[in-house]
Amino acid sequence: MATAQVKQSGNPFDIFIDGLRQGFRIVTNNLLPNVVMAFILTYILQMCGVLTFLGKYCGGVMGIFDLPGQALTVLCATWLSCGAGVGVAASLLQSNQLTPHDISIMSPALLLMASQIQYMGRLLGVADVPKRYWPMLMVNSILMACLGMFIMRFVVAAYA
Amino acid sequence: MADSSSVGLQPGEKPTIGAFIAFLLALCFFSGVFYKMPEAYKYLGSLDFTTLLGKFGTAGGATFVGKGGIGARQGFLFAVSLFPGVMTAMGLLAVLSHYGALKAAQFLMTPLLKPILGISGITGLALITDLQSTDAGAALTKGLYDEKAIDMKSLVIMSAWQYAGAGLIANYFSIASALFSAFLIPVWLPLLLMLCLKFVGGFLVRCVLNTLYRKDFE
Repeated sequence: MATAQVKQSGNPFDIFIDGLRQGFRIVTNNLLPNVVMAFILTYILQMCGVLTFLGKYCGGVMGIFDLPGQALTVLCATWLSCGAGVGVAASLLQSNQLTPHDISIMSPALLLMASQIQYMGRLLGVADVPKRYWPMLMVNSILMACLGMFIMRFVVAAYA
Repeated sequence: MADSSSVGLQPGEKPTIGAFIAFLLALCFFSGVFYKMPEAYKYLGSLDFTTLLGKFGTAGGATFVGKGGIGARQGFLFAVSLFPGVMTAMGLLAVLSHYGALKAAQFLMTPLLKPILGISGITGLALITDLQSTDAGAALTKGLYDEKAIDMKSLVIMSAWQYAGAGLIANYFSIASALFSAFLIPVWLPLLLMLCLKFVGGFLVRCVLNTLYRKDFE
């Protein structure tokens, strides 16, 4: 993270600029490819009628969180990669298939269940957590994401 | 992040007054309390992240991102619009971290570890580091286990805390910030909820380990 780059200098302006540089790298190397991929994926799903299908048949399940069925694509994408989830959410928001209300409700899930496959290696593997506990940890993350959306449903309603 | 010492407290280290001021400033910048201040207090907007981001100019009623675009071209333009927000967030986080904001956060969080998660305060550094860097948090966690500073049960509970929302602060203010403009709630609210749910998840895993997996730790 940014703090590692800034150890050499105590000047707050240098630290700030190093942070900006770090942000530039994140957008260039991480966000931009993920967002473009997500927009292409959403376009494909839209053309193939998958979004309409999800809206029609998954509305009931997602209704628990006061979300339309299409929101399921965001959750699936974020499970694979946080950047992809945010990209799909942005894409669906721009095409009016999701609303700011839906994005606000989904906000905790976008991170709590994000990039689970990737973090298996980067976190659980590195920390040497025995594999028999991995499914429990994954279920726990998804459960917390669902709980987060359920709470946000009422929080957003209170703010509206 | 190879060296985590600049982020969290080392054993025996206490956060300075400066660290608490940096933590307070972090709360001001990202909580939105100074967003859209009345004219008389407009200067307080200089302590607000969203105000500092400003806005894009418009052409024909829309920003350069435009309206009605689809596919890769629209995705690219949308991604370009994310540069200012992510860069500003990472710049502010770098300065606030340098002055010890996360050390103050760790100091405030440590008393919660034993009663809720059943793990010792020594794990605070690894957990707070994970909020900024998943890889560094994982490496510190493994280090604690290898040095026998924590047992297997603590390792699993710590990993549960880290795995749900890994790299939370860094990812929230970099990747998820792309959606901040669509939020109907203050930016700090989902972050606070996610931090609470990390503890809820950790507690839940602790309970499961103490019941279903009890034999593993006898």
